[in-house]
Amino acid sequence: MKKKIFAFVLSAAMAASLAACGGGGAASSAAPATDSKTAESTAPAETTPADVDYGTGEIKIWVADNITDFTKGKVDEFMKANPQFAGYTVTVEAVGEGDAAGNVITDVEASADIYGFAQDQIARLVSAGALEEVAPENIDAVKNGNDAGAVGAATVGDTLYAYPLTSDNGYFLYYDKSVVKDPSTLEGIIADCEAAGKNFYMEINSGWYNTAFFFGTGCQLTYDTDDTGKFTNCNIDYVSDKGLVALKKMIELKASPSFQNGSSVGNATNAAAIVDGTWDSGAAQDLFGDNYACAKLPTFTGSDGKSYQMSGFGGFKLLGVKPQADENKLAVCDALAAYLASGEVQLARYEAVGWGPSNLEAQQSDVVKADVALSALAAQLAFTVPQGQYPDQYWPLATSLGDSIISGELTTSSTDDELNAALQSFQDTCISYAG
Amino acid sequence: MNDKTASMKRNRAISNGLTYVLLVVISIIWLFPFFGLIMQSFRSYNPAVEYGGMVDYIIPKTFSLDNYRFLFSGETNFLLWYKNTLIIAVFVSIGQTIVVLCVSYALSRMRFKGRELLMRFWLILGMFPGFLTMICLYFLLKQFGLTQAGAVPGLILISVASSGMGYYVCKGYFDTIPKALDEAARIDGASRARIFFILTIPMAKPIIIYTALVAFMAPWCDYVFASYVAFGYDKSYNVAVAMQRWVWTNDYQSYFTRFCAGGVLVAIPVTILFIFLQKYYVEGVTGGAVKG
Amino acid sequence: MAEKKNPVGAFFGAVGTNIKEIGTTFAEGDIKTKLSYIIFGFGPLLRGQIVKGIVFLALEIAFFWYMGSFGSTYLSKFSTLGTIATEKVGRKTVYGDNSFLILLFGLLTIIIIAAFILIWRLNVAENRKEEQILASGKQLPTNKKVLASLLDSNFDKTLLALPMTGIFIFTVLPILFMICVAFTNYDANHQAPTNLFTWVGFENFRQIFDFGGSGMGSTFFAVLGWTMVWAFFATFLDYFLGMAVAILINKKGIKFKKLWRTILVITIAVPQFVSLLYVYKMFTNDGLINGYLLKWGWIKSAIPFWTDPMLARITIIVVNIWIGIPYMMLIATGLLMNIPEDLYESARIDGATPFQMFRSITLPYMLFVTGPFLLTQFTGNLNNFNVIYLLTKGQPQSMNLVGNAGRTDLLVTWLYKMTVTDTNYKMAAVIGIMVFVVTAVISLAVYNILPSVKDEEGFQ
Repeated sequence: MKKKIFAFVLSAAMAASLAACGGGGAASSAAPATDSKTAESTAPAETTPADVDYGTGEIKIWVADNITDFTKGKVDEFMKANPQFAGYTVTVEAVGEGDAAGNVITDVEASADIYGFAQDQIARLVSAGALEEVAPENIDAVKNGNDAGAVGAATVGDTLYAYPLTSDNGYFLYYDKSVVKDPSTLEGIIADCEAAGKNFYMEINSGWYNTAFFFGTGCQLTYDTDDTGKFTNCNIDYVSDKGLVALKKMIELKASPSFQNGSSVGNATNAAAIVDGTWDSGAAQDLFGDNYACAKLPTFTGSDGKSYQMSGFGGFKLLGVKPQADENKLAVCDALAAYLASGEVQLARYEAVGWGPSNLEAQQSDVVKADVALSALAAQLAFTVPQGQYPDQYWPLATSLGDSIISGELTTSSTDDELNAALQSFQDTCISYAG
Repeated sequence: MNDKTASMKRNRAISNGLTYVLLVVISIIWLFPFFGLIMQSFRSYNPAVEYGGMVDYIIPKTFSLDNYRFLFSGETNFLLWYKNTLIIAVFVSIGQTIVVLCVSYALSRMRFKGRELLMRFWLILGMFPGFLTMICLYFLLKQFGLTQAGAVPGLILISVASSGMGYYVCKGYFDTIPKALDEAARIDGASRARIFFILTIPMAKPIIIYTALVAFMAPWCDYVFASYVAFGYDKSYNVAVAMQRWVWTNDYQSYFTRFCAGGVLVAIPVTILFIFLQKYYVEGVTGGAVKG
Repeated sequence: MAEKKNPVGAFFGAVGTNIKEIGTTFAEGDIKTKLSYIIFGFGPLLRGQIVKGIVFLALEIAFFWYMGSFGSTYLSKFSTLGTIATEKVGRKTVYGDNSFLILLFGLLTIIIIAAFILIWRLNVAENRKEEQILASGKQLPTNKKVLASLLDSNFDKTLLALPMTGIFIFTVLPILFMICVAFTNYDANHQAPTNLFTWVGFENFRQIFDFGGSGMGSTFFAVLGWTMVWAFFATFLDYFLGMAVAILINKKGIKFKKLWRTILVITIAVPQFVSLLYVYKMFTNDGLINGYLLKWGWIKSAIPFWTDPMLARITIIVVNIWIGIPYMMLIATGLLMNIPEDLYESARIDGATPFQMFRSITLPYMLFVTGPFLLTQFTGNLNNFNVIYLLTKGQPQSMNLVGNAGRTDLLVTWLYKMTVTDTNYKMAAVIGIMVFVVTAVISLAVYNILPSVKDEEGFQ
């Protein structure tokens, strides 16, 4: 902490001289020696207008299409409540989370100043220099206000790099209750689907969904990171009896004529059950109509005869601020991001588009507790692992593993040796990403 | 004799009959996807009537204009994307035609130092895959301020700037216009420029239309580079960039029927134009194929 | 074809002659010419050649302005691609050197310097020419004439100036840049502006030919192999089937020729991102085709059109026939009409069957005239991005391939994924160079054995 304060004082002293070369026209001549006080509150809507000149500039925000209008409204409220930031014009663009991270990494300079992204991108964004650390004055509020998983997801090494936005990036089961009588076992669901000639969807060629099997049998796969987003160590034990059981179950599932690889309600046809997340709850309600139902993931019986509860990732959406050459603008961005990620706005966002909050208070509100999909997610939460940091190459690697099953390179008639070889190759490659 | 003609006639009738059957089968195969596309686009979007995502049947349970209504409603910027694409297509079409005509005339009619070298150099350049340079082109355009908000002029600039290398078909056509015509005009005192404008261009109408048509059609399908250049700036998207998201990303659930409706709207003008100008297109591709 | 000389010898010969001429020009020239060696266009200006003089002078001034304001800073960092790292000053980020821009503008500066030398040489030659004209007692052309020549004898310069500038900036420069990138470590971990990247020599090329554990060798050749197989089938299947359809439609006695053609041609007209994305959805495991086949009870479980590697490849080739036949049909229709009818007539009198006539008359003719076209089709298919990417995106992936390559990836789609998804620019650049090498080798080899290598002047 001491180091940071020293750096801050140093920066304040140097600001006047450096502002000219870094920020260009946007940088005002006033040295922001006092702005550490003004930006302190997490709910800046209540701060009194300060005497600091924040200058002028433009702030660009990238969020998913379905919350663009919502975000615009909230930004307007924020600007109205904070006249000291009036010199800034804020624009909100619809750029999906996947595109946002990709774009930011391609060209940091031209990207949005504040952008939403799924947590699996965070290490990559940090090492590309595309994420600024959370402002010191906001750290405590973020850490205390959000659930531990969300804070962990926003942390790389020991540094908090982003503002948690949602805590709903996990998956569970949507099903048609007229077809699936008992959603508690995987075998039962498959049997019901086969009997009705309907499809069961699960995206087993995704590194995100396949952990339902691997973590379910007790395997682990985590990475350690340092403060700069570099991966230092990989903890993995997929090459084991547990890993083999999980892999065999995936192969067995694929062999069912009812199985379809996929996790998008909009692209699912003739579906009776689908493993998917809350973002699809609206589409799932449309799809299943009156028979719409949700449940935690089922248990499955492994090749060793034991019963396992499907696990998986609990994931989070985050809001990041990109590094700025102008401290004034950074202060405005920090305040705005903190506001957009605050409990009050998270709750409003849930009410507007159904995104499940990461904020503890918002989670306890009655409306959130009454949500069917979020309840299923909460029930599943007991069995999931909060998603930490994974190298970017992990995801396509897991797709390769899943594709090997789907394309029939690995089948029910594969020997244990062949399966172990695939797991060994997977594990070795995972390890090779660290260090 | 009569018997022979009769049997020949019969044989011909049988073989023609088989040909018709084959042609009808081929036509069905060729039209089926478009039929499906159009059917899907008329599905209802109201979940109470019919679910809006993907389905595994082709005839909608109810016909409705929901998807088209959505596209025109202003809930998305579809009309703006459409306008962008149209602007790009028109300007690229004009620009490329001018550039190709200039280059073709110079290479076909003039003999200057380095001509062979230039043609060979361009041939070699053409062997590099276009995607290789995407990132570099993006940053070049950014230097000129022609990305994001300036993406539309930027895309036009890029498409027109490097179009000179696509001179083959047009030059091949110019090569077939007798040089004697030029010589006669030169004896009458006409300058090269005058010959180009008064003599060559009017004679090149089919190839001009072909070049313009091909250039006009390309931007409708550009979802790769256009998305790079627009770089998240929604208002600069073209239809391809905007609509591929509806199919490929998870942010847009149940947009498939809307995609189909958008696709129909994109396909209609291009297809009509194409069928209208088919004759010139055939002339262009045939000429190009023979000359290589 | 011009007679072949030893290109290296010819090059050095030309350099020698040039240097000699520069020397004699200086030695024999007057003071105006001598001063022109430093002040461009000085001689022409004093000799009344205002237009040429001003152009030369302006170019010189522009060059020094460029070097002074811009070029020299980038050029000086070109050898290291930057050394000043980005750092944090408090909460503020102070960006250091941008390796990307240094490489790009350093390269541009080198090219501009080369151009400058060329302009200087032209400037010297111009002086020499003017002196010689004056010495022989003739008049120099008036400025008006010089300008007018741009529309007449020098019209090619007017016509080509803009296209060549465009191609230089937006094609040549980027390609040179990416070739340079293949020799750097520019990837996700060395990304400008936050991180620096630098030269690494042939390291990336070593990796693409490395058959060890994490090397890309086996994947590269697997992808290359499929790329060749694909290009072969995509070209020749379309070629023969397209020709067959054309013959069907042009058969005597068949009515509505125009209608049949128009139906087929719609696949060319409708943008591929619409038609191919729809076709992709049609053939998915849960798509229309499988849906109906299951419903009718023809199959027990869905046919994995896109997920089985072999089947996916076959499906792609079949769908490509759908795309490709119309083109070939149009071309073949035009060409078939050129075959003299009496050839067929005499064959018919000799009692030839339709197939025999096709084999001994139609096919040889078609192959002869469309030889170069087949070659361009083949190289075009090597780089046929749209069909592959809109259908499968290169999937299915496999544990047996590295670098996220899939079983249906072409080199060019793999390159695209590396650029966009992985931001692994260095390997993308290497693959791009490999695509170039493959295309060039095939083109060269085939071009030299083609029977109909064109006689360019022959048509005129």
